[in-house]
Amino acid sequence: MSFFESLRQKAPFLDRIAENFTPAITRDEKFKLEYKLPADENILDDTNADLSFVSAFGKLKELQKVKNTNEQAMAYVYSGKLFLTPHYLLFRDSFDHSSCIMVVNLSAVKRVERATSTAYAFSLLVTLYSGSQIVIQFIGLRYRSEQFCAQMKLRLKDNVPNAKELPEFLASCYSEFLLRKNLLRIKDITVPPAGLGQLYKYPGNPTVAKEKAKLRLWFNYFKEHGANIGIVKNHEFQKLIRIGVPNRLRSEIWELCCGSIYLRQAHRGEYERILKDNEGKSSQAVEEIEKDLKRSLPEYSAYQKEEGIQRLRNVLTAYSWKNPDVGYCQAMNIVVAGLLIYMTEEQAFWCLSNICDIYVPGYYSKTMYGTLLDQKVFEAFVKEKMPVLWEHIVKYDIQMSVVSLPWFLSLFFTSMPLEYAFRIMDIFFLYGSKTLFQVSLAILKVNGDDLLEVEDDGMFIAILKNYFHTLSDSAHPDSSDIKYRQITKFQELLVTAFKEFNVITESIVAQERNRFQKSIFQDIETFVKRTQLRHMPKTFNLSQEQLSNIYDIFYQSIESHKISMGTGSSNMEFEIFIQFLSKFCDWSKPSETDNDPSFRKQKRGFLKRLFKKWDSSRIGELTLYDVVSGLDKLITQDLLESINFFFSLYDEDDDNELLREEVLQISEGLLFLTEPWKTGRYVDELTKKSIENGIAESIVKENGSAITVEQISLPSGVTVDEEKYKSEQTERYLEAASNFLQRSFEYAKPLELSEEINLIDLSDDEDTDSGTKQKNYEAMMANAALDPTHPKVLDLATFRMIILADETYELFFTSTFRNSIHVDEQVDPSEGKEKALRNMFDGIIADGKRVAEEVRRRVDSVATKGSIASSESNSQTLNGSSTTSGTSHISASKDDRMDDVDDFTTEHPNEQEELLSTSWIEMDSAPDPSTNQNRTLRAISAETSSDQKDLIEFETN
Amino acid sequence: MNSGITSIKLVLLGEAAVGKSSIVLRFVSNDFTENKEPTIGAAFLTQRVNIGEQTVKFEIWDTAGQERFASLAPMYYRNAQAALVVYDITKPQSFIKARHWVKELHEQASKGIIIALVGNKVDIVSSGGERKVAREEAEKLAEEEGLLFFETSAKTGENVNEVFLGIGEKIPLGRPDEQSGLQNGGVRITDDQRIDLASTGSGAVAASGCNC
Ligand SMILES: Nc1nc2c(ncn2[C@@H]2O[C@H](COP(=O)(O)OP(=O)(O)OP(=O)(O)O)[C@@H](O)[C@H]2O)c(=O)[nH]1
Ligand SMILES: [Mg+2]
Repeated sequence: MSFFESLRQKAPFLDRIAENFTPAITRDEKFKLEYKLPADENILDDTNADLSFVSAFGKLKELQKVKNTNEQAMAYVYSGKLFLTPHYLLFRDSFDHSSCIMVVNLSAVKRVERATSTAYAFSLLVTLYSGSQIVIQFIGLRYRSEQFCAQMKLRLKDNVPNAKELPEFLASCYSEFLLRKNLLRIKDITVPPAGLGQLYKYPGNPTVAKEKAKLRLWFNYFKEHGANIGIVKNHEFQKLIRIGVPNRLRSEIWELCCGSIYLRQAHRGEYERILKDNEGKSSQAVEEIEKDLKRSLPEYSAYQKEEGIQRLRNVLTAYSWKNPDVGYCQAMNIVVAGLLIYMTEEQAFWCLSNICDIYVPGYYSKTMYGTLLDQKVFEAFVKEKMPVLWEHIVKYDIQMSVVSLPWFLSLFFTSMPLEYAFRIMDIFFLYGSKTLFQVSLAILKVNGDDLLEVEDDGMFIAILKNYFHTLSDSAHPDSSDIKYRQITKFQELLVTAFKEFNVITESIVAQERNRFQKSIFQDIETFVKRTQLRHMPKTFNLSQEQLSNIYDIFYQSIESHKISMGTGSSNMEFEIFIQFLSKFCDWSKPSETDNDPSFRKQKRGFLKRLFKKWDSSRIGELTLYDVVSGLDKLITQDLLESINFFFSLYDEDDDNELLREEVLQISEGLLFLTEPWKTGRYVDELTKKSIENGIAESIVKENGSAITVEQISLPSGVTVDEEKYKSEQTERYLEAASNFLQRSFEYAKPLELSEEINLIDLSDDEDTDSGTKQKNYEAMMANAALDPTHPKVLDLATFRMIILADETYELFFTSTFRNSIHVDEQVDPSEGKEKALRNMFDGIIADGKRVAEEVRRRVDSVATKGSIASSESNSQTLNGSSTTSGTSHISASKDDRMDDVDDFTTEHPNEQEELLSTSWIEMDSAPDPSTNQNRTLRAISAETSSDQKDLIEFETN
Repeated sequence: MNSGITSIKLVLLGEAAVGKSSIVLRFVSNDFTENKEPTIGAAFLTQRVNIGEQTVKFEIWDTAGQERFASLAPMYYRNAQAALVVYDITKPQSFIKARHWVKELHEQASKGIIIALVGNKVDIVSSGGERKVAREEAEKLAEEEGLLFFETSAKTGENVNEVFLGIGEKIPLGRPDEQSGLQNGGVRITDDQRIDLASTGSGAVAASGCNC
């Protein structure tokens, strides 16, 4: 049963994954996610405002120029909310949150001035680098508006250095190139770098005419609404994307939609730097990447040539260095190969970064939890939306994931002709991961009738394969209506995906992910644990159950560390190692003695040696494998092996001899290890025995020899003179330590022919109290340490003899030490505070059996006074029962916490996601401006009165 | 004499790029591609062969090789009657991985599963490349674990069909009357009505010659 339970126990790192999935995200996080802003763009301030955007090249300006009158120009004004973050000014209309989304990087702001406005209203006129202007009319309390402005002024000042770098950045944007070339008629502007497609053709052989037409649409859009880092996105923006983005502009539109353009601007040079810093370095990811370079879209000619392969290599390796938690996952090669057809290396790098972080979180992770989760979510959608098909799939035991998993993992690149996959990418970047679900559902839906005919996997796959190869065919070849006949299967697919399955919103996807997350994580946990345990070294002393337990403690320890350090390595560093041991080793548990600096030194000294010994690969970190093999040796039943191992920790050159300094250290090590017993926090077998003898003695005394064992019930109120036994034990340990050191130097062999050893006379006075003993010990230490002129060595045989000569130490290596390592102890997954130390006598009082046996012995042999029980059988009894009591104690507390671990019931409020317009390309009825309620045509003044110069809020020079 | 067709569910496992998909492609279509895209998740193909008087239909599940895809594998080796554990004889690491797969299959897969250990890419050695996994070492593992063992080249076709024939011979190809008694590792008989879409050359293995 406990094995079953331990299987169910969580691998801690998965809990951490769970945290990432918690839908209860903050307002800031939601905001950043929604507008794809970089992680550090928290909202500094927000305010209600009316906004209008007057493009430098737009119709409005033209009008102004031509007429050159005092006539007031008209512009659309949107009501909404204005946000300020460290580097952005963002506006969102309040009508449908997509009629006017303005994202302006503050470095693009050239000037801010107070506009002439009505007496009560407060307006700002913001001029961008391009000459475009934004009129902001604040709504609300005046002082709040002033606050917003003040804050904005500060941020603008901070952004002045970035503004200086703006021209260089803009030179990489194709939109900028288009505008300059066509509007400003600037000659010899350098064309921004492009993807491989520019040289090796874009997939699908687009006609020049069609490309040009599409480009012009975008050019007009930019002219009117701005571009790149100073743009207003509205319904038309979305519509243009749905039409299909022209090849040359794809990189920028993708960047803009997924927000990687903001990363690229904020981290200029970082990509190059990562490549440079890691040049020539090797890693597992790098090796895996190398294997797949020639296997990425091999049908695209650039990837059979060094140029394409080198770009692919650069982006993939750079990302593996940037995000070692992901490293490299097969399918990333295909996705990046796709991106690089349109994007430059740097663009693809940042775009990949946002794909992994925002769009498909967890897809490419080491456990691929995101992939598994989304397959589960997809199945649930199929079941819900196409119950008949789902039943059929279940009935014939068809593995749908064989076809659907690649759709998600490689974003359709391996499934359908590239030109179509890229069309889906356009929409994916615009609307997010729900796109993958919508398209996938549509694929099944469109092929539904055929799929219902099949009875095995082979046919299921074949039908879909055939479908993908005929996407450019007519969807209705037999129709008499030409228009109808012209609709391709691909168009039909899109219509089905975005019309019929528009009910699949991002928030529904999030909700479904949340629903299945727990079971997916549990599956992965079980799998990972099973796999890791399968590859553990052969153990001699540790049982399967104990291994499983160590596994849990190991990962729990690392987890608590990672939360603060943010690393994903599964190896254990020294500081964590200390925490790890403290969870189940009595001598490593935190105690008051830790406050003593010299004890701390002893502790670290010993643990450091242990750590080093276990670190098989000499990397300064332990793997689970190291820890398991180490612990397996540490808890050996063999007394000599145990002593030898302890000795070997100090015998660094493995010559079976310790030098003076090492002898001093080994004695410190012993002092540290025995501290819990020396201070009386735990009792060893010798003390237990004497306590039991004491109790038995008193029982026999009270009841005489007439007592039978059955009658004995241990008096619950029995008082044991704790202090007495404690101090006896302390004495014993101090004496052992003192004896050890004395004997070590006594029996150590001189390294050279030396004169008499010059130790101070140590009288082995029987009556000395512990205080004196402590002093003696210290004197001896000092003496030995101060006498380096007489090198002596302590060999292993002598060491063993010295240990065995002392009852306490012998017992220590026989059992005390082993029993202090509780590999059985289940660790509280929620990791509370250090448990209150148990009363040292709990174990004894709780179980009267041993005492009863002691009494029986006494009764049986009344004649023999100081009955000498065979120490062997006695200690076995003790062992057995102490384990039992220990376990029951722990399992009780464990059960309590299990409740917490399994408690995922707390519901998180579902993110209320805006319902996107159901329109789809042809069916799209973009709001007709005349009937549109969300904006008003209002007279605005885009001019400032020249005599108000002093009111300029901000200006770059 | 036997009207039924015996289906064998077979799964391929092994490190990335050792040539699993290439072996399948060779077996199913007698073809080879120099730069094959990695398998994303898994692929499914079928092939029929005549073994003796029996027609055997192989239902082949080809899996992705990268370590992190390993958690998907149980989905595909579930109920498998046979497995090919493939490694690349020029990549020692892939042999270590093969050991792991064998261990996992013994632990997790159906009890009577027939496993063939396959060292692929022998053509590299024939053309002067360096072998990094000794034949003896692999034979020893096969011996210890009770596996069939082959060295193949998907590129030249060497030994590829033999692997599948070897498996086919090992699986108890029961006559229908024996079927009921078979438990794990047995073969299920399906009626002949299934259409075999995936296999292009419907020819038996014996007919498709090796073109090396
Ligand atoms: N020389 C040689 N190359 C081979 C052979 N078999 C496969 N290859 C090549 O090795 C690479 C990987 O082959 P795949 O069949 O895709 O390998 P895989 O095991 O399916 O890989 P994953 O799907 O990533 O797990 C390809 O470039 C093949 O052309 C072989 O027998 N000889
Ligand atoms: Mg493959």
